[in-house]
Amino acid sequence: MTWRARLSARQTTWLAVVLIVVLVALVLPPLILLLRGSVTVSVTHTVSRFGLDHFEAVLQSRHFLASLWRSLVFAAGSAVLALLFGWASAWIVERTNTPLKSLAYLTAIISLGTPYILYVSAWLLFFGKAGPVNHLYRMLTSSSDVLINIYSMHGMILIEGFLWSPLAFLLVGATLRNANPELEEAARVSGAGVWQTLRRVTLRLSLPSIMALAMLVFIRAIEAFEVPALVGLPGRLNVLTTDIYGNMVARVPPDLGGASALSVILLTVVLGLLYAYGRLSRHAERFATITGKGFRPRPFDLGRLRYVAAAILFANFVLLLLVPLAMLIWVSLLPFYQPVSMGAFKVMTLNNFRAVLSPHHIELIVNTLLISTATATIAVALTFLAGWLAVRRMFGGWLVEQLATIPLIFPGLILGIAVMQLFLYLPLPLYGTLGILIWAFVINYLPYGMRYSSSGMLQIHRELEEAAAVCGASPLTRLRRIVAPLLAPALVAGWLFIFLMAARVLSLAVLLSGPRSQPVAVAMFDLWNNGQGTELAAFGLLWSMLMTVIALVFYVVARRSASGALGRA
Amino acid sequence: MLRVERLTKIFENTTDRITGGVRDASFALEPGSFFTLLGPSGCGKTTTLRCIAGLETPDDGVIAVDGGVLFDAAARVNVAVEHRAIGMVFQSYAIWPHMTVAENVAFPLTVAKHRRYGRAEIEEAVKRALAVVDLDGFQNRSAPRLSGGQQQRVALARAIVHEPRLILLDEPLSNLDAQLRDEMRGELKRLQSKIGITTVYVTHDQSEALALSDRIAVLDQGRIVQIGSPQDIYFRPANPFVARFVGATNLLPGRLLGSANGIGEVEVLDGRRIKCLVPQTINDPSAVSVSIRPESIRLTGANTRPAGALGNYLAGRVSGVTFLGASRRVDVVCDGVSLQVTTTADMPLPADGEVLLIFATERTVALPNKMS
Repeated sequence: MTWRARLSARQTTWLAVVLIVVLVALVLPPLILLLRGSVTVSVTHTVSRFGLDHFEAVLQSRHFLASLWRSLVFAAGSAVLALLFGWASAWIVERTNTPLKSLAYLTAIISLGTPYILYVSAWLLFFGKAGPVNHLYRMLTSSSDVLINIYSMHGMILIEGFLWSPLAFLLVGATLRNANPELEEAARVSGAGVWQTLRRVTLRLSLPSIMALAMLVFIRAIEAFEVPALVGLPGRLNVLTTDIYGNMVARVPPDLGGASALSVILLTVVLGLLYAYGRLSRHAERFATITGKGFRPRPFDLGRLRYVAAAILFANFVLLLLVPLAMLIWVSLLPFYQPVSMGAFKVMTLNNFRAVLSPHHIELIVNTLLISTATATIAVALTFLAGWLAVRRMFGGWLVEQLATIPLIFPGLILGIAVMQLFLYLPLPLYGTLGILIWAFVINYLPYGMRYSSSGMLQIHRELEEAAAVCGASPLTRLRRIVAPLLAPALVAGWLFIFLMAARVLSLAVLLSGPRSQPVAVAMFDLWNNGQGTELAAFGLLWSMLMTVIALVFYVVARRSASGALGRA
Repeated sequence: MLRVERLTKIFENTTDRITGGVRDASFALEPGSFFTLLGPSGCGKTTTLRCIAGLETPDDGVIAVDGGVLFDAAARVNVAVEHRAIGMVFQSYAIWPHMTVAENVAFPLTVAKHRRYGRAEIEEAVKRALAVVDLDGFQNRSAPRLSGGQQQRVALARAIVHEPRLILLDEPLSNLDAQLRDEMRGELKRLQSKIGITTVYVTHDQSEALALSDRIAVLDQGRIVQIGSPQDIYFRPANPFVARFVGATNLLPGRLLGSANGIGEVEVLDGRRIKCLVPQTINDPSAVSVSIRPESIRLTGANTRPAGALGNYLAGRVSGVTFLGASRRVDVVCDGVSLQVTTTADMPLPADGEVLLIFATERTVALPNKMS
């Protein structure tokens, strides 16, 4: 090669090398430390040896098998429920002439910004022993029993299913929007009715993508922490994640070895599931119904049934948005928690709202905004370069993509434990600061950033870059002047998505945050555990309002960048 | 000007074992000439073009422009794409949607490495390039709001603004509708002769190739099967593939009985003998095909054999007539084999359908069934 060719090859090679080093430094140490912790048995305070004792202890206890079984049942039930809810409302919204469609979007968008911990608290207040449902039941039957025992497996599944259905709705909606409507229209023209078309064409075609999505919710539910902690623990229904949490928090000193061994087992389960998910979703793409044409299909006319469909959407809206919201408003106005009654109106007060405008709460908000902003910025910057290298198949692209995807196997809680161990070893004084949280968050959200960046890259016709190359632009000039501006909408969407997720996640932060570095979700968790439900409600309402605005911006940006207006010159 | 030697670039496809790319392609271009790579999709023509541009790295071969080597596998020379100083128009036009027309066209000057262009200088060059493609005054238009034909012109202006030595065109007309395509074809030809820039053009459309080119290379399955002027390619195709791909033709398999001075006799159908041109490349007389263009055949009634012994005669029967507007396609069956004949739309056909096909020796070519 001449010196010139070497120069331009060198630019991208250096970029790839730097990126690989950074990603390796981020991603591998937690994994290695976790594995190491799980096979290190301490003999005395200073001496330790290699051994599988932790695994033996875990696998021999009957408790473990019960937790594993509960995890699986919980995840499967939640996946089915979320998909059922999500798919039905997505099909109604995307494919029929039902009124009230905007309610479904409103529900989904608000749920994007609201911490799960807040939702779970609200539903617990609603369905709980002293909640309006059971209160009404007791009043009507004058028994002292409860109608619904929410602290049960059914309750856990119900709440987790509720939590995931808005996301299922958005994801199914996207696949339905991209599906080629001519396939359905061909069925209609051939004489099939709405139900026949739905059953024999629409469902069949979207089955692979529905299966893949169900798998995704299943994995996320196995990793879930909020519902098992808030609903499962009071009901003595332990799952794997709460067992791990128990090892770390309920014991003094924390049983790091036991937690690591359990984490490694959970990691293996997730790895297996992710492999299956990868195969499923590749399958889903092979049956791709995507044409990329931007036209809107003619919706099905449901006739009178559209009022039934509207009722379903409305019920969805009530259950997922109105009930939690009303419950939170109610509770936030009370000096102490009491059941819904006329008498309570007399004692209503705005004191809770005054209380949550304290410097302490402002600090929580600042912490969260700092963490989320830093996380989103770093993760998007790294994955922007990674996505470019990977999609254009440049030197190091494959490796970079694999590295950025590895963190998918970490449930949030486990990544928390792993990063904690890392900073117990490292001489960096990050423990208990925002830095350690940002470190863990960046690792956790790399795969999401990668997804936004590489799917955005795929929409940019490679000839747009090649044209710049032929014009004489070097690789870095191409990156700066062609790729970055064209990818900007996808990057902004990715940034906002990561920001929203980082602002509401509890599991990842719960073990890592110190007294001065608490984010909002962890503070809410503490408020709930301390029985300060009224303050939690007031704080949660204010916080969700702020996040809803950001979620709205995200939704608008994401829709625009996904519409594919770019790159088809 | 441009010299390509033994250019080879193979794409292995491991899943279905179909390999694409180009093998052993060699050609040389005169300065200012218009050279076309013609072939069906997957024949390697775009690969060849991308190798010249530097967008693909060839497996083997040499590429040189004006004596400067751009690529030489043996000498391990590979000039990076951004240093090759060429212009290129892509199939999708690749007009950057986040820039205005002027920004698009100015881009090659703003990233130039050998010198810095001043603002006024760039403005002037952009204006000149846009004037060449008849887009004066479009400078501030945003690129996605242009029509297909306008985008194509912007792409062309961008490709010539930095006065490259060589311009590469990758199926630039294939995304336009039929009428616009004809219009742009004429414009391209005019433009190329006006600025006199050496051009390599890739297309699968034989009529484009015939209309535009000084010379054409026909590719089949990664190999150049014939290089020649449009007339050569059309009237003296090198093999049955070229004959069929460039224009419609009738191919009759047969046996070469003998030849002298480039003219010979071939036995076709049920023992009928046809006099035709016989090129040097035939080395297996038992496996030849005779190519007769439909428009080279004249039809008369079976009983009206004209006087004089010029050319060949075949008797047949009309099996179908298709009206095509300016012309008419007549299908004639001779010894059970169907032949196409193009006639004027108003020529009367004999009522009984029995006809005589007349075609000249010099418009009839014997072709080897296999390439040597």
